[in-house]
Parts: sequence; structure tokens; C-alpha cells
Amino acid sequence: MRKLFIISTVVFWLAVAGFRLADFCITTIPVTAVSPVVEPAVKGYLLAEVAGHARQNDCWMAIEGSVYDITTYLPDHPSEPELILPWCGKEATQAWRTKNKGRTHTSRANQLLENYRIGVLR
Amino acid sequence: MTAHLYPRRFAAPFAALILAFAVVWWAFPEQMPFWRSLAIVTAWGGSGLLVANLVLMVREPHIARLLGGLESMYRWHHRSGMIAYLLLLCHPLALALNGWVEAPQLAWQTLVPWAQSWPLWLGWAALVLLMFGLATTFAVRLPYRRWRAFHFALGLGVLLALAHVYALLGGADTLLLLIVVTGVALGWRLIASDLGMASHPYRVTQVVHQAGGMVEALLSPCAAPITVAPGQFVLVAFGDGQAYRGCGEYHPFTVSGIEADGGLRVGIKALGTCSQRLQSLEPEVLVRLQGPFGTFLSDSPSVPQLWIAGGVGITPFMAALRAYACIRPTTLIYLFRKETDAAFLDELTALATTDPQFELLTDASDKGLPDFPELLGKIGHITAREVSICGPIPMVEALLPLLREIGVAEESIHFEKFDFR
Repeated sequence: MRKLFIISTVVFWLAVAGFRLADFCITTIPVTAVSPVVEPAVKGYLLAEVAGHARQNDCWMAIEGSVYDITTYLPDHPSEPELILPWCGKEATQAWRTKNKGRTHTSRANQLLENYRIGVLR
Repeated sequence: MTAHLYPRRFAAPFAALILAFAVVWWAFPEQMPFWRSLAIVTAWGGSGLLVANLVLMVREPHIARLLGGLESMYRWHHRSGMIAYLLLLCHPLALALNGWVEAPQLAWQTLVPWAQSWPLWLGWAALVLLMFGLATTFAVRLPYRRWRAFHFALGLGVLLALAHVYALLGGADTLLLLIVVTGVALGWRLIASDLGMASHPYRVTQVVHQAGGMVEALLSPCAAPITVAPGQFVLVAFGDGQAYRGCGEYHPFTVSGIEADGGLRVGIKALGTCSQRLQSLEPEVLVRLQGPFGTFLSDSPSVPQLWIAGGVGITPFMAALRAYACIRPTTLIYLFRKETDAAFLDELTALATTDPQFELLTDASDKGLPDFPELLGKIGHITAREVSICGPIPMVEALLPLLREIGVAEESIHFEKFDFR
């Protein structure tokens, strides 16, 4: 077991060093940091207006009475795009609450979502 | 310390696996990319095993009986901890590979702590503490007291790992359950076991110097005595006397005699710093005692017995011989370096002359292991006997293949080794 500990720990740090080296050697940075759109959350939207933003490059959702523009967040969402894209332009409260095995999103996801709030649903 | 086939042999690994699988099942990701799914599975599997690992270090006689004995619990405490560590090493690497799929730079950005927030710093702190704790765990030359202090880093590592998950996910039911189980297990171990809140008060009432640098202490109960059977061991922390200064830490001692008033005799051989100091133990020293543990010699003999003892390994057999006359023909092979080193030899010789069912064979081997084939050749109908072995690890490991080769059934072999760190 001692050998296993030593080997696995060395392999782990070698892998970490490998990622560092790759970061150092590869100069192109395809992903640019994007700041989430934050607007005063006072504007009201109709569901019909939300429905006009139902594309990958323009994705709004209504969740629990608020409207969110999550376009810039979509690339960072952990699940496959096919799972989340159908909810663009829609009332997505149910999907939000039943993410995985019928469970809601985490409190951290709740906090993150607030960064993308653009108004309330009228 | 006892290892033989009996129904709860798999209870400890089963409990650890059930906990880990239940947690993974609960958190199993759906419709997520492969590497991210792997990161989630390894994180939850590792967390489940870490919590199981803590449950398996709880020293409580009822739990020990439920989970197949303290020896099995400790063995799987080590194994589950190691597997958890491997899984948790995979967790950040899988997350990095998930980023790599999108862009190689994202892999390093995922890993590097200064690009992250405090919940992820907690994760890194937990992993580094686990790494440090395991490194010291495997440092066999570390003095026991320092080794034990460093071992606590692992407990702190588990707490930080759960804090990392809590900071990321909030109070999910399953996570809260893991935190509660962790708190109870750590609390029990620290307060009830290590600080001795669940221990029984005893007092040293007699110290007998046996041959071979062994002292036998008679511990008499200060309150209600615990019920101990021959073959079992207790964890004992010796306090201070007038001239004697105790180590204060718990060490396992196999009981060598059980008195009618609940007093227990324990044989103490000078094997380490603390047991060396115990050679100058004196009466009236207060002791804290936990247990009993172990199932060695617990089966009522239905066939002739062969007992093989090496050095201080004679103690469980002494307890059995002192407790009752042999009800089946019993041969004891007692191995020692030289006759002057053999504790209890006079008493055993006397027992062999008075108990017709009991036969004593001795062998003094000053250099290395004795000639086991020759010794076992002296035993009549050996394959029809239950064989119980207690002694140093090299002795047990030399005997086991030989007994199997002779044709002794696996389920008829019971052994006890001395490796309890």
C-alpha cells in the first residue's frame, strides 16, 4: 500500500505539472473571459418577449418569476448543450428544480444564476 | 488482530462499499460530458469511502462485533482510506481533462488555486492534508506518538473535503448525512476513545515479573467489571504511580487470565517505548480500559485442538487454560528463543501434568524460525484438528502455507498476529 501511495502521488503531481507545461507551451487562447451581463433587475418582460431569445447565441429563460440572459454562461454549463438549449426562450422553472434525479440546482448555482438576472416576468 | 473465517468477515468492506455506492448513486450525473461525469463520480465515491473510513476507526465493542472485529475494521480502514485517496486524486485531474477537451489552457485554469474561489481552495487544502497525513502514516520509523499526532491530519483533511463539497453544493440531504456521520465518528473516537470517556476504570493490584522480559499485571475493576472471554484483548492506558510514569496512551494487550472477581491479567512484553516503560509498572497505578475486542478462541471446541504460540503469543492460550480444563484433546506448541525467555513455562508444565487432555510441546530456537515440518510431524491426526496460531507475523506466515499443504482445511485455521498501528 505504501508503494501505491508513492506511485499515485508522483503520477498525480506529474500530471499537474503536465497541465502547467501545456498551458505554458500553448500560446493561443481560444476562450476569452466574458463578463456576465448584469442589468438593474427592475425591468419586466412578457413570456412572449422571452420566447424571442431562444437560440444558443441569444438565450433567455424565465425561472421562478425572474428573467435571465444566460447566453454568455451557456459554454460553461456543466451538462451537454442538448440538455439546456431546448429551454432557451421558455419558462424553465420546472427544469431548474428537477436537474438530476428530480433534484433542484445547488445553492451555489442559485448564486451564480443571480449574476445573469435581467428582470422579472410580467 | 483475529483473522479467521466467520460470518461477519465481510461486514466491514460491505459497509464501506454500500456507503460509497449509495452516495455515488445519489449523485450520479446525467447527460454530462465524460470527464466531468468522472470527476463527479470520483469525488462522491472518494467522499463516501472517506466517511466509511472514519466509521471503521471507531473503537467500540458493539460496533466492532457488528463489523466483524477490530482487526477487520482496521484492515478496511486502511484499504478504504487508500482507495478514497486514489479516487480523490482523480477528481481534479478529471476536471482538468474536462477543460482540456474545450481548450488545453482551460485544464490548468481549472487546477490552479489562485484562479479559483475559496470553496476550491478548501478542496486543495483537503487533498494536500490527506497527502501529508498518508505520507506520515506510511513513515514506519516515525515514533508512535508523533505518528499518531500526524495521523490526525487525515481527520482534518476529511473535514475540509466535506467543507469543500458543502461550499459548492450547499446543504443537500446526502451531504448533511455524511457530515453528521463524520462528526459522530470523529467525536466518538476523540472523546470516547482517545480521551477515555467511554473507558472503564481499573487499578493495578499486582505485578508479576515473568521470564523473558515480560511483566504480567493484574488489573482489578474500580467499578463494574467488563466481561471478557479467553482469547480477547483490551486496550489499556496506564496512568502514573508513585515512582512510575505512565505513557497515557492506549495499547492493545491480550488477556492472559480472568479472575472470578472480574480482574484481568495482561502480559506486557517490552516491544516498544511504552511497553519498555511498563516493565517498571507498580501496583496502585490507575488504568483506563476499553474493550473487550476480538474473537480468537471464541468457538467452543468440537474437535481436538492444536494451539501454536510464539513468544508473547502464549497469552491468549494462558487465559483459556487458566479459565477452564480442556474439554477436547489439546496440544500446545510453545515456541521461544530460549527456556529462560519462556513466560509461564512452569505453570504450563504443571497444567500438562494435571490435565490429561492437555499436551505441551516446547521448542527453543535461538536462530530464526524452528523446523516447522518436523514439529507438525509430531502431531497426530493434524487434519482433524482446529488450529489456532498466535505469534509474530513471520511465524504465522511460515505456518499458514505449511498447514494448507498438510491438508488442514482453511476454515480450521485461526490466527492472531501482532500488527496494530
